[in-house]
Amino acid sequence: MVYLAPPHLASAARPSYGEAYSNILARHRRSPLTSASSVILLVAPDVDALCAARMLAELLSQDDVMHRIIPVSGIAELEAMKDELATYNELHTLILINMGAILDLPSPTWFGEFSTKLTVHVIDSNRPQNLGSLFGGGDIGDRIVIWDDGEAENMEEERKAWEALEAGIQYIRRSPHFDKSPQYEPEPDSDEDSFSSSEDEMPFDSQDDVSESSRKRKLPIDSAHSRAKRQKVNERHPSPNQMSRDQRLHYQSVVDKHYTRGSWYSQSASATIFILATVLERADRDLLWLAILGLTYQYTSSRISRDTYEKFHSVYHDEVIRLNPLPPSTKTTADAITALSPDDHSIRATEEFRFTLFRHWTLYDAMFHSSYVAGKLGIWKERGRKRLTGLLAKMGFSIPQTQQPYTHMDLDLKHQLRVKLDAIAPEYGLVELTYPSFIRCFGYRAPPLSAADAVEAISALLDVAGGVRIEVEVEGARHGGEWFGSGRVWKTGRPDVNDSAKVPPGENGGAHGDGGEDGLVAEERTEVPWWMKNFWAAYDALTDIVSLRDALSLSMSLHRAIIRQGTTIIDKQDIRTMRSHRVVVLSQGPDLALFAHPGVLSRLAYWLIDALRDKLPGTKFTHGKKSLPFILACLNESTSTYIVVGVMGALEFGDVRKNEFGLAFINAKDRCNARSSHNSFNTSVLEVDREDLKMFLEALCEVGEGY
Amino acid sequence: MALPPPLRTSVTPQELELIASEQLVEILPLITMEKTAFISGAYGPLRPPAKCRIPLWMAVNLKVKKKCHIIPPDWLNVEFLQERLSRETSYPEFSQMPFRFAEIAKAILDVAPDDIQNADKVRSLLKDLREARQAKSREGLAKLDHSELSLPNSCSMEINELRPFFIHAMGVLTQLSREGEDRAAAQP
Repeated sequence: MVYLAPPHLASAARPSYGEAYSNILARHRRSPLTSASSVILLVAPDVDALCAARMLAELLSQDDVMHRIIPVSGIAELEAMKDELATYNELHTLILINMGAILDLPSPTWFGEFSTKLTVHVIDSNRPQNLGSLFGGGDIGDRIVIWDDGEAENMEEERKAWEALEAGIQYIRRSPHFDKSPQYEPEPDSDEDSFSSSEDEMPFDSQDDVSESSRKRKLPIDSAHSRAKRQKVNERHPSPNQMSRDQRLHYQSVVDKHYTRGSWYSQSASATIFILATVLERADRDLLWLAILGLTYQYTSSRISRDTYEKFHSVYHDEVIRLNPLPPSTKTTADAITALSPDDHSIRATEEFRFTLFRHWTLYDAMFHSSYVAGKLGIWKERGRKRLTGLLAKMGFSIPQTQQPYTHMDLDLKHQLRVKLDAIAPEYGLVELTYPSFIRCFGYRAPPLSAADAVEAISALLDVAGGVRIEVEVEGARHGGEWFGSGRVWKTGRPDVNDSAKVPPGENGGAHGDGGEDGLVAEERTEVPWWMKNFWAAYDALTDIVSLRDALSLSMSLHRAIIRQGTTIIDKQDIRTMRSHRVVVLSQGPDLALFAHPGVLSRLAYWLIDALRDKLPGTKFTHGKKSLPFILACLNESTSTYIVVGVMGALEFGDVRKNEFGLAFINAKDRCNARSSHNSFNTSVLEVDREDLKMFLEALCEVGEGY
Repeated sequence: MALPPPLRTSVTPQELELIASEQLVEILPLITMEKTAFISGAYGPLRPPAKCRIPLWMAVNLKVKKKCHIIPPDWLNVEFLQERLSRETSYPEFSQMPFRFAEIAKAILDVAPDDIQNADKVRSLLKDLREARQAKSREGLAKLDHSELSLPNSCSMEINELRPFFIHAMGVLTQLSREGEDRAAAQP
């Protein structure tokens, strides 16, 4: 149950992050069976979770706590993992990072039946959270600890509603008339997986099918706490039979509203861990840098709005100044930052442009590949490209200059870039070109790297470090440079991995992929899935600047592929407009294998939204404000399925909307019985069988109207 | 190490570093600890902000976990090393340096460069010292004969470097000189 209030709301009676952490330590030291599997971190595969895991691992190893980090890719994986974890009897702490907020953890299908000494901590930035996990008490409920960021304080109404409904159900279940009173069946915990399809577990509510699952749930009858609560609630509402139908409906609607508003993101997991570190007075530069990366990731992947970003940014800015005292003469303009000494690993605050990776590309390329500029100037047409060159010319950059990699550009041009952009860009409609961010020096080993670039590199590694063949440009290869030919195939640079010639047949060759094992041994050893390899590659790159910089070129190819695909889509006018949303189906193209990954597909979706923001009118999807709902489906030839991604774009740049596709997908799936599965923690990503796609899309249209 | 592998049958530098880590070094602890018994002795208590002397291995361990600040020994600073370097380059003998200075300096610079003033200058001075002393070792080897070789004031790493070659060479020289004596004795 317990949700942990953040430290600024904590008091003696209300434990907060620090106490939870010291409990973990105390348990670890006290238990006689302590081993490396006593504390396990389950980590979702996104940049924020990666940073949070790294920070937490650092804190734990400084306290000499042995722990294990296990990446988990989706809900199905989490279930399998849960079954395995039930067999570890030295496990006493489980920490879920960026997963599990929506799941009903106290229930028997999750952790309700685990031993009493297990505590589950949930550090998740996904919202909405499950009310049962937040407010449920009792024996089991008290062992589920959700690290909240203060929003749960404002959920009094939901809490009341949930408790009332919960008491109603428990009362009803004890009454002999249970089977005969169908009108009381709807369950309060509307996240219970109530689908009969065995493939997947949906954490969302369905209004129809309820009775089986309510019967399935175990009552903590013996717990005095819940009995007391029931009695207490019964005093408030004399008995649920007498709870008026109106009241019950009202509570039900409150709870439903909580779950059906759509999904959004709140305080990043890395921010939570950073607050923990500050409470423990162990915040230092490395932890701060990772927290900054988590925040920047949330902003650049359109998960939080500009305002939220600025709020957290100012907190980090103060921390930066506190931890990195600089001699007053150092300059902090973005182009003038250099390391002061070989041991200089400090973080500085700068203004960052919205051009992706602009310090590593030519200026023209950076502007070309940024979705904001692309949208405003209409890059996909030749006319748009001329406008871009025109803009650059007006600012005083000659064409050869803009085709130089940034590092070779003239110094005075670099200095003037910001000023000129501010002056001239508004004419073209480009207004919000900069945002405040941070940059870190790495001594003399590498030039300073900005937070946004680091996030780009790491998410590229997470998405495509292995498992797909992608070509990377070699510097100097353009315009017939020294190296003729376009580039080399990306390989995760680890010299000890034996790239033996024996690639198991049928595997995706290329990259370092799955072919690292000897052919004979591969049959005995279970192949590490590609996403796990990516996870560890990205995890290592978090602190290794050399591999991080290598990954930048990977990121650049990824962007190029996205642009290629995006421009084709817009050119061919492949976007079908349905009544309440827009659909794009990708079934052919050179990069099809690349876009079969949900991460890359979502990026394409956001690029399209940014590009077309001004050209398209907003629509209301189900309820709520006007937005730009987009659905992208990409064919995965090897598995004969379509990966479907739904994103909700906001009408203004820098704003975000709650993503309502999770619920819509489930409803549509229900209606048409398409064979499909959810493979990741993001409920707006779905995998649909090839033949069922059309049916599914049609059902989705009906869903849009039905609300 | 500049010696080819066949001659490298001696203690490795990492082992030397381990041996050197037994030496006591002063720290500024950030945590509290009672007087605790370890295998090599009892150390502590640690009471911030009072300084304490503990073995280098323990100091390094605490520093990695950010639980202390290491106070560099009095010879590990720019002035001292500068002075020794100028002495090294002006006299033909080795100058007096703490016996295990190379290992201790490396250990401290690896984990605690922020506790040392001008860490990069210190690194470059140490490098210069090593090169100067290495040149002297080479000259000294040229004077090798079968009975003795004395290199006063050389330090543990340098001795370790020379040892395999030295032993082998001494052996050969002794053989040669014995043959020479035998031949001289055989001729009446």
